[in-house]
Amino acid sequence: MPEVFIDGKRYEFEGDHMALQYMLDQGLEVPFFCYHPSMSIPANCRQCMVKAGQYMKNDETGEYELDEEGERKIRWFPKLQTSCALKLSDGMVIQTQETSDEAERAQKDTLEFILANHPLDCPICDQAGECPLQIQTYKYGPEGSRFEVKKVHKPKRVELGPRVTLDAERCINCTRCVRFTEEISESHQLTIVSRGDKNYPITAPSETFDDPYSLNTVDICPVGALTSTDFRFKARVWEMNQTPSIDISNGKGCNVDLWTRDNEVLRITPRQNDHVNDYWMPDESRNAYKLFNENRVSRPFIKLDGDNQSNSSWNNAIETFAEVLEANDSSDILLIGSPHASVEENYTFNKFFNLLGAPNARFATHIIDGYGDDFLITDDQAPNTSGCRLLNLDESSSSELKTAVSQAKVVITLGDDLIDRDVLSVSDLEDPYVVSLATNHNEMTKASDLVIPITCVAEHAASYVNIDGRIQRSFPAKETKYSNRRLNLEMSEGRLDRFGTNFDNWVNEDNKVDCLPVWEFLNKLAERLGLEFEYRHSREIMTEISEKLDTFADVSFERMDEEKGIQLPIKQSKVEQK
Amino acid sequence: MAELSFTQEELDEIEKIKAKFPTVKAATLQVLWVAQRKYGHVEPEVQQLVAETLDLPAAHVHGVASFYTQYYKEEMGKFVLDVCTCLSCQLCGGYEILHHLEDELGIKAGETTDDGMFSIQEVECLGACGYAPMLQVTNGVYVNNLTEEKADELIKNLREGRMPEFESMQMPKLEKRNQAAS
Repeated sequence: MPEVFIDGKRYEFEGDHMALQYMLDQGLEVPFFCYHPSMSIPANCRQCMVKAGQYMKNDETGEYELDEEGERKIRWFPKLQTSCALKLSDGMVIQTQETSDEAERAQKDTLEFILANHPLDCPICDQAGECPLQIQTYKYGPEGSRFEVKKVHKPKRVELGPRVTLDAERCINCTRCVRFTEEISESHQLTIVSRGDKNYPITAPSETFDDPYSLNTVDICPVGALTSTDFRFKARVWEMNQTPSIDISNGKGCNVDLWTRDNEVLRITPRQNDHVNDYWMPDESRNAYKLFNENRVSRPFIKLDGDNQSNSSWNNAIETFAEVLEANDSSDILLIGSPHASVEENYTFNKFFNLLGAPNARFATHIIDGYGDDFLITDDQAPNTSGCRLLNLDESSSSELKTAVSQAKVVITLGDDLIDRDVLSVSDLEDPYVVSLATNHNEMTKASDLVIPITCVAEHAASYVNIDGRIQRSFPAKETKYSNRRLNLEMSEGRLDRFGTNFDNWVNEDNKVDCLPVWEFLNKLAERLGLEFEYRHSREIMTEISEKLDTFADVSFERMDEEKGIQLPIKQSKVEQK
Repeated sequence: MAELSFTQEELDEIEKIKAKFPTVKAATLQVLWVAQRKYGHVEPEVQQLVAETLDLPAAHVHGVASFYTQYYKEEMGKFVLDVCTCLSCQLCGGYEILHHLEDELGIKAGETTDDGMFSIQEVECLGACGYAPMLQVTNGVYVNNLTEEKADELIKNLREGRMPEFESMQMPKLEKRNQAAS
């Protein structure tokens, strides 16, 4: 098997490898800026330089040639090589900055060169804390600068498009953003203009950078040159918690990270998953964080007289709900599940009322034909349409649902704004008693007689099945009134959480929403109704589902965590995609 | 600006240029020249026209056009005088020539005369150090071994529409070699 010697250690490899990626795969560290595993290799930052060569072999005997001391002779390449563009070959010898003074010196010089005109505004720069240039300068950089002349100032605060702002003087011309628009999103909107120390990325004069994937360039920009107009100056990375989650704004189920501080989600960034979204996510999905913070239903709401909704206690809400259920025949109850809610939510919701004798829950898909592209935006606007189908909820059209509503005396819905998306109208819901389990205030909650606040994807651990039949799960990222970051070991803790107290002035109690996971609310309702129904964690629910339903066999939270989601045995054509 | 377009003749020329290269992208430089010859500059609208004609991203054409100083990104005079003030020319009086031209035409370097006839630019080395001081007329002929009189004459000639002749300047050694070869 071909072998390669990196820093004096022998590695065996198979197939084609580039040195940098191979070393990263082995857990070795080589600094770099412009390289990105999903894009072409331009080798223009010159930061991943290594000393490389080849052990000399005798042509006739095939034996390694030895010098006087018995060491193998090395024929070094005449100059240092950029390891990102260096293909491994049998018998190659590589020395990184760890063992080669030359490579270490080259990296130091490259950094000095890059920093010649790069402003040292880390204290105000948005990238501080997650800036490879900052980190690498700290680790590998020179300790001072020999440049005493004034730095070149390139344009600042250029609005490239509706979502991306450029600070050109921070740009180190790695061209990742340009390559992204050329190779990944294929909008070709960015280019590098001018030359030398004046060059920077920008659009053509007549264009705005309105690529639906434009914010990915912000993620991959190694410095603070491209920033998200929305997120600029909102928070420092070390103040935030980073929690793995799933995008709930469309059917693709992009893997994301939720960045929270003081129980507010401040931004959403993509998380790598080769099976689903690679390193990317659409811009519009990033806006979903507002849904988690704003306009939340906090404490139950109840209609007392006429259309006046007012806050109510949980006890009152449970009592009212129970009385309504007791006063009506179970066959008069209509359950409407939701493709916007998780597998666990739909399952427990359906199971609970089935136990009471109510017929199976229905649901209405949220598909807009022609909305999607061939990449990460789908026609399906809901994260869990496949999940509802796999749980055997009854898929209903708008007219079927309208008829069902007109025949029911009690309508119970789960986290879905059916009015806003024109499935039902306000007048449809006038006659029956409407109970909504909801995360946000909307037309549906306005039309409801009783509104039960439930946790959103940022607050619970739950799984969603994307349009390709891949089940993936979320973690709780923000506390509710009833959860505690330090007690819930699944929740991440940031620096502020760990070292702060609840009495710090950055802590805002209002950011905790007064809501419960669906199953926890149903536990309470079951207790009141004397029903045998109790779960302690959504993990338990998934275990039960995997035991009962064949398609979910062997599915567990542990496996989802380990395998970054599990492909369920269903056909991709289950949800129509154009 | 009125709607821009290439004539059929120019389009034919562009087709010929395209045929020379394996990819359309490579033709960008030459087609930008075609456009600059026609309009005298490659302002954003002209870059757009080139991009549309070649079916390339506008950003790509903009990147190329902005990389090379020889493409004029704004409207320039009919004759653009690039006066070299780099080391050799500077030592031999490049700045004197530049300031003389500025006085003569009543504009500063980087400006264009009101009649749109002349623009003056101060440029870096044009690779003619042996015959300094020198200037270049509109990305074209070099005028070497400049004196103030020679500069005045050049202005006069250009006003009358006479472009200076191409001056063949041979290096002494090259002359010797050429003789030996012949």
